[in-house]
Order: sequence, then structure tokens, then C-alpha cells
Amino acid sequence: MPFLVLFLGMYLAPICVAVYKSLFVMHSQGLGLSGGPSTVFKPLANYTRALGDSAFIGAILRVLLFGVVQVPVMLGLATLFALVIDAVSARVRAAFRFAAFLPYVVPGVVAAMIWSLLYSPNPNASSPFFSNGLTLWSVANVVTWTWTGYNMLIIYSALTAIPSEIIEAARVDGASGWRIAWHVKLPMVRSSLILTTVFSIIGTAQLYNEPSILQAVSGGAISSTYTPVMAANNAIHVPDFQYAAALSVILALVVGALSLGFFKLVNRRGPAWG
Amino acid sequence: MGNGTKWAQGVALAVAAVAIAGCGSSGGGGGSTGSAAKPVHLSFWGWAPGYQDSVKAFNASHPNIKVSFQQVTPGSKGGYQKMLTAVKAGNGPCLAQVGYETLPTFVAQGAVTDISSYANGSAGEFTPAAWNGVRVAGKTYGVPVDIGPMAMFYNKQLFSKYHIAVPKTWAQYRAAGLALKKANPAVKLTSGMTDYDFAGFDWQAGAPWYGTSGNTWKVSYNSPAGQKVANYWQSLVSDGLISKAPTYDPTWLSGLANGQIATVVGAVWQAGTLKASKPISGKFAVAPMPQWSAGANVVGNSGGSSTAVLKGCANTQAAWQFAHWMSTDRKSWPNLVTKGGLFPADKSLQSLPVLNAGDPFFGGQKIFQVFKAAAPNVRQGWVWGPGMQAATTSLNDGLNKAWVGKETVPAAISSAQKAIVRELKQQGLSVKS
Repeated sequence: MPFLVLFLGMYLAPICVAVYKSLFVMHSQGLGLSGGPSTVFKPLANYTRALGDSAFIGAILRVLLFGVVQVPVMLGLATLFALVIDAVSARVRAAFRFAAFLPYVVPGVVAAMIWSLLYSPNPNASSPFFSNGLTLWSVANVVTWTWTGYNMLIIYSALTAIPSEIIEAARVDGASGWRIAWHVKLPMVRSSLILTTVFSIIGTAQLYNEPSILQAVSGGAISSTYTPVMAANNAIHVPDFQYAAALSVILALVVGALSLGFFKLVNRRGPAWG
Repeated sequence: MGNGTKWAQGVALAVAAVAIAGCGSSGGGGGSTGSAAKPVHLSFWGWAPGYQDSVKAFNASHPNIKVSFQQVTPGSKGGYQKMLTAVKAGNGPCLAQVGYETLPTFVAQGAVTDISSYANGSAGEFTPAAWNGVRVAGKTYGVPVDIGPMAMFYNKQLFSKYHIAVPKTWAQYRAAGLALKKANPAVKLTSGMTDYDFAGFDWQAGAPWYGTSGNTWKVSYNSPAGQKVANYWQSLVSDGLISKAPTYDPTWLSGLANGQIATVVGAVWQAGTLKASKPISGKFAVAPMPQWSAGANVVGNSGGSSTAVLKGCANTQAAWQFAHWMSTDRKSWPNLVTKGGLFPADKSLQSLPVLNAGDPFFGGQKIFQVFKAAAPNVRQGWVWGPGMQAATTSLNDGLNKAWVGKETVPAAISSAQKAIVRELKQQGLSVKS
């Protein structure tokens, strides 16, 4: 019962409030200097505005592109590292595990600041990392640097849970290291791979720390509505809480649809692989 | 199971306790006029260095009013958002530090209280530009604290090393930049300014961003005078005189310190910004702001803030009393000058001895004298509009590109103009461009 109260109060209530708020619009008249705006119930107004807001739609498409490229690269690296440390001696393993995990220990904002100094060391020159087309991947690089080790650890701990008899049996059957990795180990850590992918999709949609810190040195390449969360934060600054709520609801729906879609995809493919 | 339930109950109790305590202590907006034994309580949110000491001095000399000061993040970095949210939730502070540029935004949000009946008698105590800054649509919402008359900070070592005269006009300023570049290609004249710093240039040129005619806002970032300023700065970008270092970035300070950035045209409080970097000490001096025509004497203003009385304040008279005291108290003000680098909006305070002192950081120059001379020449007629946060976001998105050459300054101003008009119309306001 207390759990239910906490769950409803702390978890569901804010979501309900956001959805409720998003159904209203702020309205002022004339100079708007007498007494503050009124809120009017117009359930679709914020949503139609958001769908026609090229900056917001652009931000969503941008993080989609980001996710399509960065998530596979990061998880590919994480899986590769996990397989490598699973295969090497215990001493090398400890050192490598520590090194790969280290970036995750650095707070995200601090990491972004370190990278902003690395990207733009010379005050009088434009940083090539924020030139046309490269900006998004400079951001992706920071995210990959931070999160690869974390994902590696999740996949690695799943690898350690594989019973050694199975590996032994494969080896006795004459399977090479690569074959064991591909046909035995990877299918056995499938649920971890799915978990890390879903977390990464959600993380991508919530992209905020890295681009907003890098914004200062990006020479305008990173605008204040670069990602959906930045766009929502921008609406709060206006301050237009109702519109910010609508943007947040749309983002949540997009992420929910993507995560569900991914689950559906892997479940359909599941039997053939696992 | 049993353990889990207990644990959850414990957490629920703790959360409830925190929530109750939080509600209890944050209702600082109120305050009741009780007996002499029970002083009136006022809460005050701000960020400028030195405010805390002013509050302490006030409390020591006013037993009937107790002001509690809370340091918040600077307004445009999130402080204003915090204030507006708190007012909306009904537990905002009684008093808040609000910049002149943001006061109309607060008025538009219905977040401030009209204090005309207390304040208007004091109109003559402040510089006209400052008093104008706390008046919105014929009502007074705050008390001016400081103003930001502008001047030019320049690296005197560079200028004398390369035998370049200190520029007096904007044409000479550009010529000086070209001469510096010729003498040493690594030296940039200055860095790109955004939002309220850029506003200072338009302010000087008589290109106010907003105006009203009747019941309609006139948005005019793109006015002919505004275009003149934009084209001038674009010429500096095209000549390669603008550093790529973003102003206020650590790389900007290091560029100023190592002679890569030669000047900063900005408000009086930029002295405090420069002082954050020890290596700059002794290298810079202050000269009057460059002029559009030789012999003219017109300056812009950048920044400065007021103490506003927020909505929901139960004791506006006590709030006014504190705000007025803080802006005009001769004993505590020198602290705001030395700690915060603030320049008083109160005309009589401009004779404070501390403003006549030489500053070792600037090689002993009496820098405040330059600003004292500039203060009465701040151009009249500047108007701030509603929704400045959104407006400056649009403006900066374009200007940041322009300063590195990815867009032009006039194009950045034009697209900002369009975005700002669209945003205001969206809110239902009557707007003309």
C-alpha cells in the first residue's frame, strides 16, 4: 500500500500533470502587460504547434539519426570489449575493465567540458569539430566515450554467467574462438544486448548534457533547440510551461514507440537467433 | 515482505516530513505586521556579489524588518526561471534581483507588484535611464540598483607597442583593428558579443529593439539604425578582426591575457569580469566608448538591475523600504562597488569617494571616472519588450554563427526579428514589425 502511494504520487502524478498542462495554452492580449496571461483550454493547440515547429521536428530527426549511427557503434564496441576481456587473463582483464569503465565515473557535464577544451583549444581559430556535418558526430564521440564502458560491463557480467560446460562442449566439438563468440556467447547474452539497446535509445532521446555544454564552443553549430530536451527546456525559459509539457509528452510517445518497436522486432527475430 | 513494507512506510513518512518542512519554510513571500517583538520577515533572491552584506547591514539597523537573502544562479542562467516558477507556485520571495531587460517579461507574466504609490516620489533620485528601466506601461515595479554605462577596455600595452592611437570613433576602431592585424596577425580586435551586450551597441546607435504604439508592440531589431550597427560588425568579421573565442569563455579570458584579443567594448561591470583573470592585471586601460560621429558623446547601457517586488508579497511597504534603502544607502554601497563592481543608479551615490579611487588592476587608472562621465550620456528612448529570454535565444543562435562566419550579422538580426515577432504573436500579443 505505501508503495502504491509512493508510486502514484512520485511516478504517475507528474506524468498526469504534464499531460493535463499540455492541453492548455497561454493567452495574452494587446501589450500583455496587465496582470499576466490567462490559460485557455485548447487540447490540440500545443500539439499542432509542436508538429509544425520545424526546430522541434528537426531536433527529433537529429536525435533519430544520432541514435541510428551512435547506438550500434557504441554497443558494437561494448560487445567487442566485453568478449575480449572475457577471453583474456584475469590480470589484464581487471586493468582493462577499470580503464574502460573510467569515463563513466566522470560526471557527464565534466566530461563534456573536458571535451569542449579538447575540441577547441585555440581561442582565435574555429574548431574543425563543429564544421558542417561533423557537429553531431563530435557530440556522438563524447557520448560513446562516456557510455561504452558502462554497457561493456553489463554485457560482460552476462558473459560471466554463461555456464562453463557450454563453452567446454563447444570447444570439444571443435569450434574456434570466433565461432564460440558468435554462435554461443552472443546468443546467451541476448537479453543484455536488448536491455542495453533500449537504455541507449532512451538515453539518445534525452540527449542534453553534452550538446548544451559544447554549445558554447560550437560557434553556433549547436543551436538552443538542438535536441528535443533542449527545445523543451527552451520553452520553459520563455516561460511557456504548457508548450514545454506538450513537447515532453510527444518526446515520451516517440521514445515509447521506438522502444516497443524494438522489442517487437527482436521478439519476432528472436527464435531464429536464440 | 514485512521488512519491505516497513521500509516503504519509513520512506513515505520521511518524504511527508520533508514535504511539510519544505512547504513551511519556503512560504517566505508572506510576513505579517505583528507587534514590535515580531519583526516583518521578507525573503530576497539575488546573485550579485555584495548583496548579502547589504542585507546584513540593513537587518542590523532595522529591528522591525528582517530580510533573509538567498543566493540564486544568475537570472539568465536559470535564476529568473526559478523566480517565475516559484511565483507561479505561490511561494516566491518578496523581493528579487531583476535586470531592467527582464522586468517587462516579469510584468507580462504577472509576476511583479505595482509599487508606484511608494516609489514614484523617489523618481528624481535615479538616472533617467535607470528610472525608465523600472517603469513598465506607466507603473513602477522595482527600485533601480545599478546601471551599466559602457566604455572601451583596451590592452594599452598592445596599442603602445604598435604605436596605434586609442580610437575615438567606430571608424577609427576598425582602422585600429586593421593596424593591429597588420602588425601582428595573431591579434584580434575584439570578440563577438551576444544578447544584452550587443543590445548596448544598438542602444548607443538609437536603435531600440522594442517600442509601443497604443496597444501594440513594435519589434524593431531590424530598424535602419539597427542595420547600420549590424553591417558595421559584419565588416569587422569580414576583415578578420573578430576572435572566434566566445565572450566570457575561459578561452576569451586567456585571449585577453596573452594579447590575442585587444579590446572589450562593454559595461562598467566588465571590469569585474576582467578581474577574474589575474594575468590581465596591469595590461588594460579604460577609454570612452567609440562614437558614430567624431566629437559626439553618446553611450549605450548594458545590464544593470533593480530590486523588484514580486507578486504575493504580503508587505509591499516594508519591501519597498528595504529595496529603496539598499539602492541609496551611502554606508553600505561602497561594498557593492568593491565586491560586485556595481555602478550606482542613484545619482547622489555617484559622488562616493570609492568611485574616485585608482585601481591597481588597471595600472592605477581611476576607471570609474570614465563611467561617471558616461552615465549622464546614456541614450534615452530604449524600451525592453516581453519574452526577452526567448528573444535573446533566437538572437544568439544567429549571432553565434555570425561571429565565426557561418552566417552574416545582418542575416542573424533579420531572422531573429522574424522569430521574435512570431513568438509574440503566438502568445496572442498585438505585434507590428
